[in-house]
Amino acid sequence: MTQVTSGVGHHVDASTLLLEAAHVTMRFGGLTAVNDVSLNVHAGEIFGLIGPNGAGKTTFFNCLTGLYKPTSGEVRFAGAVLPPQPRLVVRAGMARTFQNIRLFHNMTALENVMVGMYSRTKTNAIDAVFRLPRHRREEKESTERARELLDFVGLTGAADMLSRNLPYGDQRRLEIARALATDPKLLLLDEPTAGMNPQETRQAEELIFKIRDLGLAVLVIEHDMRFIFNLCDRVACLVRGAVLVEGVGAVVQNDPRVIEAYIGAPAEELPAPQVGQPGANPGEGIADA
Amino acid sequence: MELFFQQLINGLSLGALYALIAVGYTVVYGIVQLINFAHGEIFMVGAFGAFGTWMILGQPKDWSVAASLFILLPLMLLGGIVTSVAVALLTERFAYRPLRNAPRLAPLITAIGVSVFLQEFVRLFYGRIPGFPDAKSAIAFPAIPGISGESIQVGGVLIQMPAVFTIGALAVSTVFLWYFVNRTKTGRAMIATSQDADTARLMGIDVDKVIVAAFGVGAGLAAIAGVAHGLSYGNIDFRMGFLAGLKAFTAAVLGGIGNINGAVVGGLVLGIVEAMATTFIPGQFGSSAWKDVWAFVLLILVLVFRPQGLLGAKVVDRA
Amino acid sequence: MRVIISDQTKVQYRYPARAVGILGAVMVIVSIFLPWSYGQGALDDVGFTGAPSPLQMFVVILPVLVLVLLAIPLVGKQRLGKVAKVVAWNTSAKTASIATLVTVTIALAAIAIELKGLANVEIGGWLALIGAALAALATPFLPDSPEPTLERVKSPKWAQIVGIAVMMAAVLFAAAFALNQTDAGAFLTYLAFLVGVVLVLRQFGVMGWIGIAGANNNRVLVMSAFIVAFAFPFTQDGSDANMSIASQVLIFAAAALGLNIVVGLVGLLDLGYIAFLGAGAFTAAVLSESAFSTIDFHPPFIVTVLIAGAVSSLLGLLIGAPTLRVSGDYLAIVTLAFGEIFRITMNNLDGNDGPNVTNGSNGISGIPELNFFGFDFGEVHTILGVEIGRFANYYWLMLVVIALIIVVFMNLNYSRIGRGWVAIREDELAAEAMGVNTFALKLLAFAGGAFLAGVAGAVKAHHDVSVTPDQYVFLESAFLLAAVVLGGMGTVVGVLIGATILKLLPEKLRFFSDYRLLLFGLLMVIMMQFRPEGIIADERRQLEFHAEDEELAEEIEEELITHHAHLNPERKGFEL
Repeated sequence: MTQVTSGVGHHVDASTLLLEAAHVTMRFGGLTAVNDVSLNVHAGEIFGLIGPNGAGKTTFFNCLTGLYKPTSGEVRFAGAVLPPQPRLVVRAGMARTFQNIRLFHNMTALENVMVGMYSRTKTNAIDAVFRLPRHRREEKESTERARELLDFVGLTGAADMLSRNLPYGDQRRLEIARALATDPKLLLLDEPTAGMNPQETRQAEELIFKIRDLGLAVLVIEHDMRFIFNLCDRVACLVRGAVLVEGVGAVVQNDPRVIEAYIGAPAEELPAPQVGQPGANPGEGIADA
Repeated sequence: MELFFQQLINGLSLGALYALIAVGYTVVYGIVQLINFAHGEIFMVGAFGAFGTWMILGQPKDWSVAASLFILLPLMLLGGIVTSVAVALLTERFAYRPLRNAPRLAPLITAIGVSVFLQEFVRLFYGRIPGFPDAKSAIAFPAIPGISGESIQVGGVLIQMPAVFTIGALAVSTVFLWYFVNRTKTGRAMIATSQDADTARLMGIDVDKVIVAAFGVGAGLAAIAGVAHGLSYGNIDFRMGFLAGLKAFTAAVLGGIGNINGAVVGGLVLGIVEAMATTFIPGQFGSSAWKDVWAFVLLILVLVFRPQGLLGAKVVDRA
Repeated sequence: MRVIISDQTKVQYRYPARAVGILGAVMVIVSIFLPWSYGQGALDDVGFTGAPSPLQMFVVILPVLVLVLLAIPLVGKQRLGKVAKVVAWNTSAKTASIATLVTVTIALAAIAIELKGLANVEIGGWLALIGAALAALATPFLPDSPEPTLERVKSPKWAQIVGIAVMMAAVLFAAAFALNQTDAGAFLTYLAFLVGVVLVLRQFGVMGWIGIAGANNNRVLVMSAFIVAFAFPFTQDGSDANMSIASQVLIFAAAALGLNIVVGLVGLLDLGYIAFLGAGAFTAAVLSESAFSTIDFHPPFIVTVLIAGAVSSLLGLLIGAPTLRVSGDYLAIVTLAFGEIFRITMNNLDGNDGPNVTNGSNGISGIPELNFFGFDFGEVHTILGVEIGRFANYYWLMLVVIALIIVVFMNLNYSRIGRGWVAIREDELAAEAMGVNTFALKLLAFAGGAFLAGVAGAVKAHHDVSVTPDQYVFLESAFLLAAVVLGGMGTVVGVLIGATILKLLPEKLRFFSDYRLLLFGLLMVIMMQFRPEGIIADERRQLEFHAEDEELAEEIEEELITHHAHLNPERKGFEL
């Protein structure tokens, strides 16, 4: 309904390689949470990452976003190796949301989004103390932009609400608005529909399409198969830390191994099991700790 | 070389004292992620408790060596431990427990308050107990026949008996602690809680009880350290907990906070470093006036280069 | 402990309750014309008949309030029209009665203690007590008034400005009178009276209105506060003793405000903050022309101040850089250790255990008075016929320093930097994942706070004439922290109040000086349990400390949406 007028739109060339994860492995002591995962995400596409609980999806996310330094492997973004520091990853153009919502609860919706703009603004202590022109200009621009983003995700009118008082679904949208505020080229969504009802899920889907239409690439982690196959151009299925299948939605959807992985399957067709139970994967959830 | 061994013994004795106190910091931190600033005061209170026991026993001065070692000293230790544990549990119950879900800053500030309060409480009110000496300045700690003033000669090295007592107390305590943590139900519950309090709770562990146990164990060892301090230095003082607590915390960080073995090792290392620094750093900066500075410089260096400590800590959390 | 009286009972007894309340108030009012004590030794003499002492003139304001609050609804509520409906008559009358009782009780207790025995309380005192007790017993039987809504009433701008001016004048008058109380009992009685009046005004709805008026006329509020503070020395009639206390309060408040940036805004616990003040003081002392100065470089004071700030912030960087990378908990203890390192080092740099920089424990004394363009801070100047002494000069200088600190505090708080700090406090990992450079922001606060402390320390060195290591010990840091905690983390007004209380009380109440630290330790524990946000609560801090209080969150949000000024970043700060 609302048009974002500036900033977010990038020139889309669907063949441009945006994210290249090559042979990413993450070990915690003897546990291999992510095992030799290679993925490519192109500009402007929606890429889905599915897999049963404890498959290492969130751990892989954390490797991409600099929360973890992978044990081995390399992540390149827009041609350059990603620095292993979350804030530098953000600067490079990758932003994320969290599986368990991690908003700044006692800040207003508007302020939450404005924090997202931190890495794209330059006001320093001197500017702020002396209220120099840069401070005034950036404050004004940031506020306007934050309001636009709130409009964009459908939170018009919630600007001055405390984020902790927002309904659950709105909190998820606010997290997306905050991530968009970092002006990313690639948006990583960690289970954006967890805990949502069907109607909210549909709205989330629409929002993600809208984001893609702005020219952003989106990488989504989900459990919900129907949601992901509706949404994604390409899907990879992660099982026990390794990529089982990768391809366009229909292919993955109909792959018997994927169905088995979800329902429970004989072991021989799966990648070699790692040390320890997948369910006790320590990597999963560390981001939520 | 003799000087080296002499300083090694001195360092070990000092380090054993730090180690006994450091365990309290580490155990509590491991379980509730709280730096209990007031722990140094628990140590101080233990020393005053032991002294009080001696007063209540009628200030025995001429007991035989055997009676002193096997009746008087254990009673004084017991008195100290009871006092320390009681004070520690009271602070846990009334100051820290209500704040368990509060922002991190709240219990930290409370701990500062408790620390100042306990110091001042002892200073102002210890002497009000009928017959007790005024605690506004240092009080002479009673001499225990068989320990105080005695020493043994090993080669060219003179070992004071209070040092033997301190190191021995640490050895016994470490064995006890190992048994407690690894072989008792409460001890294992402590380990489980320190790894994941929520899961431990789901598994039916009474986390409150575990926290009480942690405070209790730490306080007990701190009280032993209090007695050891009294015997080693001959006097006790309401201020003694501040510096000792700070050093013990340094020891806990040095060993890896949250790691019990680390606290013991860290204490000993810190003690030895201090003893050696005053001997082997040349020039003015080697004087004993600087030894505390070197200890704290060590703390900062550890945090820069090995924040997880010598033996590795639980986790240095980033969130 | 609260006795609950049913609404039915309240309706039933409202007339007798009002009558008894009025009777009680009148009794207290009459009592000030009778002697309260035998002998003149208590409360600066309250033994006269027919001539109330100044203290009594103040105290009587409370029963007069009771009388007015109870009587007006009887005679003129209709005539007052709309205004009568938006204020809380009955509940504020109740508060006023209880405040009267507390104040009178303290006064009588002080008489009994100072003159050794309750027998020294005279007829007037007893009459006051009985009257106050009657009123305090009767007024709870009045039906509760609804919450006052005075702040929602639209008032003309001039009225708001007049309101602010009146309040500021009252503050000035109250502060001047408080500082002039030399008798501990009188001081406490007066304090109880002040707290009572503030509570009554809050209950009545006036405080809420002033709050909104202040928020709407931020600049007027700030300017008038500054003018009042500036005018304060003129009320002291050249009394150097009082101005000495006032200037010490300001130095202490300046340091507490600096600490508030670190603790209140970023949520980092700095337990060695006094060392930064000390570093500034020692730097200024060494660079001064004192005979004990150890180096041969004596720049003008304006340069010295900057050097002092720079030295302090350099130390801050040195301590902060390694520790701020790890967890915030470590910072607390490392700063504690740093405080000790500082004290020991200053003691050791005596030419004996180290090079001579500070003369060891003797410190540097004989620091000369400041002199700005011929204005000698050590001399008495007569301005507008009032003698302005040495401490008043330093008081003014400190006022400028505090103004500087407040501007830095507010303008950083309401900016990109301040938002980053809040984000760090709320969820450091999420902040980092959103691109906030958390390490740099923490270091900025830490070093910046140190800089401001260094500046305050430089002035303190000249103010105190001498600088010794034992002025900068851990307990002083704890004391500063107590001011921040008591006043309200993250607020300016709160910390000013906290610092004033903590510095003024021990000066005025000598009898409790020995228990000072005991009580402060206890105070910190109790505050954290029951009101961690402090006397004046920063809204966001309050939310953080009461994470489960949904009602509070709704309330603050409502306020936010209606006034749109409080937490909103674009509205606050000072334009320079």
